[in-house]
Amino acid sequence: MVQTIAALIRKELLQIRRDRIMLRLIFIMPLVQLLVLGYAVSTDVKFIGMAVHDCDRSSLSREFVRSFSAGDYFIPRDSGLPLLEIERGFQENAYDAVLIIPPDFSKTLAAGGAARAGFIVDGTNANAAAISLGYAGIITAQFNGRTASREVPISLRQKVLYNPEGESIYFMVPGIIAVLLTMITVMLTAMAIVRERELGTLEQLVVTPISTPALILGKTIPFAILGFVEMSIALAFGVLWFKIPFAGSWPLLYALAFIFLFTTLGVGMFISTATRTQQQAMFFSWFFSIYTILTSGFFIPIANMPAAVQYLTYLNPLRYFMKIVRSRNASSSSCGR
Amino acid sequence: MENAVVLDRLTKRFGRFTAVDEISLSVRTGEIFGFLGANGAGKTTAIRMLCGLLLPTSGSGSVAGFDIYRRSEQIKLNIGYMSQKFSLYGDLTGYENLWFYGSVYRIPAGSLKARIGELASSLELEEFIRRPARSLPTGWRQRLALAAALLHRPRILFLDEPTGGVDPVFRRRFWEILYRLADGGTTLFVTTHYMDEAEFCGRISIMHQGRIVAAGNPQELMRTYGQNNLQDTFVHLISRGGADA
Repeated sequence: MVQTIAALIRKELLQIRRDRIMLRLIFIMPLVQLLVLGYAVSTDVKFIGMAVHDCDRSSLSREFVRSFSAGDYFIPRDSGLPLLEIERGFQENAYDAVLIIPPDFSKTLAAGGAARAGFIVDGTNANAAAISLGYAGIITAQFNGRTASREVPISLRQKVLYNPEGESIYFMVPGIIAVLLTMITVMLTAMAIVRERELGTLEQLVVTPISTPALILGKTIPFAILGFVEMSIALAFGVLWFKIPFAGSWPLLYALAFIFLFTTLGVGMFISTATRTQQQAMFFSWFFSIYTILTSGFFIPIANMPAAVQYLTYLNPLRYFMKIVRSRNASSSSCGR
Repeated sequence: MENAVVLDRLTKRFGRFTAVDEISLSVRTGEIFGFLGANGAGKTTAIRMLCGLLLPTSGSGSVAGFDIYRRSEQIKLNIGYMSQKFSLYGDLTGYENLWFYGSVYRIPAGSLKARIGELASSLELEEFIRRPARSLPTGWRQRLALAAALLHRPRILFLDEPTGGVDPVFRRRFWEILYRLADGGTTLFVTTHYMDEAEFCGRISIMHQGRIVAAGNPQELMRTYGQNNLQDTFVHLISRGGADA
């Protein structure tokens, strides 16, 4: 049994080493993905183009507009354009937000009344829109605190722990590592048996006294090894290149990843035995990976999903591992400081 | 052990289709047995049952003295199988392929190296064994596949159209190797479409529509059915068998 499994592992690794395209797919692509996605999959919302329509033109209204430009969140532009042109610009995506100040703004404030200002955001990207609205609310509250004649009843003092700069990269890069680990292990294992079936080599293998458990172990262990190598490269890249502070427990992370790999290797093996061609296996792995990634909380927070879908995510192994990699890294930044 | 393969009314049905219909035969140890039949006659199904890959629907059989229903693990340790389609790993060298199969057949690493060397020299494979298997010409690939099937010194060797797509000179030399194996006591169970090859066999059986329509020594069969060569005998039996059904 041990000799047979060792022979299979040796053979699989040898075949992967021979296959130049496969080698590139396994080792270089993830790095490229990590680099590109690490920078691109950023949920940081900054430099929001904002058109300003100031009908009041008072020093108070100008100060209000100025408070928006502090802190790189909004870039106020095109003040003084007629509303119609602002509307066209908004439709053509020239801005993502519009700030409208009515003519009686400073007068109402001076009289101690509650002034109104309009703030419109493009809701196409719901996440970014919500974040813009949040910023606008905070800026307005701070402005109120500075200018209000009487004391504001409650002033909330906010403090963000673990990732005080709100760097989404600290959150996204570990997430990408989890996604890569899922995709690589599911796909490679999914190919393992069906490829031999398609090439005709499985026929020769089944006439040997190789037992089913030995065949399955010999066909999954190589990909578990590859998964760990892959994860280590990606983690090293995350820590050394993206400077993700890590102070969690490495052995614990690897032990949990080992448990997680049972699920992806198992699904891969299932796909590989249930399909007839590599094309089918590829299609099923994609289907599984996409579903798994979308419901893992990688892009969309699970709390934002409808209740029914939230229950569905409990079936998704990546949901748990996503939380593990992200918290390992996040908690470390607080320990480091 | 007198008989290497014994089958008694072995039958395999797939749903309502009977692929193998009550075939009975026995193959003596050390014999070269030709298992002939038209395409779709049920040869492959029969061989799959003999190799322990498929369970029969009814009937009984034993291979190398082991029951085909219950002892497929023992059968697999005692048989070699070589198919028409090249089924070794093209991206591995001949040596790597042989090492892999040797390990799967549980040959200890110490004796495996010597065994590979021995087969490489008897099959004249030495200069090809370090090259990727896919780069070898068809004839050499088939010798490599034969080497892989022989590593564990099987008592019975199943060859499913072993010389398909190989030139006549290579085929002749391949059969010389098979004769040497039979002389050494290995039983050979061969399917082929080449009637000149069938004449090399000690005994043959001819299958048609799941049944064995004739069996015996090739020369005797030709005499019995009044034909000048095996080709005509085959065609005569198949068309007669077709009329029966």
